[in-house]
Amino acid sequence: MDPKSPEAGDEPQELHDLPPDAFHERVHSFEHWLTSVHGYLEERPWGHREDLDAGEISPEVRDRLIATLCNYCVGETAALEGAGGLIRVAPNRASKIFVATQAVDEARHLEVLVHRLRELGVEDPETEITNRAHPSLLSFKEKLLALVANGEWLSALFAQNVILEAMEFTVFRHHAGRTDPVTRDLLIGIIKDERRHIGFGENELGRCLKADPSASAKLVTVRKQLDPLVLETFDLALRDLGAPVEERTELGRDYLGAVGRLGIA
Amino acid sequence: MSAQEKRRRFELDDRGFNEVPRKYRKYYRRWEGPGDKLQPNEMLCPVCKVVVRSNRELRPGDRLYCMACLTRLRIAEGANDELEAEVEY
Repeated sequence: MDPKSPEAGDEPQELHDLPPDAFHERVHSFEHWLTSVHGYLEERPWGHREDLDAGEISPEVRDRLIATLCNYCVGETAALEGAGGLIRVAPNRASKIFVATQAVDEARHLEVLVHRLRELGVEDPETEITNRAHPSLLSFKEKLLALVANGEWLSALFAQNVILEAMEFTVFRHHAGRTDPVTRDLLIGIIKDERRHIGFGENELGRCLKADPSASAKLVTVRKQLDPLVLETFDLALRDLGAPVEERTELGRDYLGAVGRLGIA
Repeated sequence: MSAQEKRRRFELDDRGFNEVPRKYRKYYRRWEGPGDKLQPNEMLCPVCKVVVRSNRELRPGDRLYCMACLTRLRIAEGANDELEAEVEY
């Protein structure tokens, strides 16, 4: 049996004693993805537990929530189209399989968010999303998909899995802590997927930059182009959620931490 | 007795971390925030903020895997003699 295979029976007593190659092969497999998501999606049709009650939501809060979820849909659509396009661009089998699983995750996110909009009484989610989309997020999406279309693996991965996913990871965690139980459960499920996406992005970029440090110059340029759009989107999203100004800087730490570790300053 | 032999061993239990395949769940738990005190066999993943657990007390140079975000970590001695995790690409 191939010792790197996820089916290999020679599991060490301690997970952390696995050889790095074996760990890499295992966590980039479809099998790993499937058995991971099964643990938290099994009893969540449409992304949340059916026994949860959202309680009374005032018209003002509901309107703000709809605006926020519409913009999440824009971000998830960007990530869905981006991840789907990156399957062709990814340089090896493990990366292709991973971004394929990410595309499925993003499709699920979009679907459950649209479903939540319907639960909140939005009759025509597509029109609502179009009307509520922040211009800065639409501009980010356009630039991301251009990188994907040009086959720029590192730049597109940086834009999607570090910049966009780090923003979503932070905003969703903040939002989950101050919303109704149904939306909270839905967001927690999405956050669990986002951990894999941000981790894959940072690790893949880290490996590539270690092999070719000169590639970081291009990523610095991408960051300069996209940072203002993401930061504006981030600020608008947190404002919609009612986060105090002083908290917004604090919440950007995850993103800054990732770019700092990668040396993309 | 060598330093290696003096290491404390820990029996890991399933803390309900359902983001990895069932047989690996015991190696992880959720982080409860800044007041969450880590045990000598635990380390916070700097990438995804999940607590990674080992069967043994951690020492500088040890390797850990965060399966929740696919990250390889290396334990290092940080400020104030506290251990910290560095991402190893």
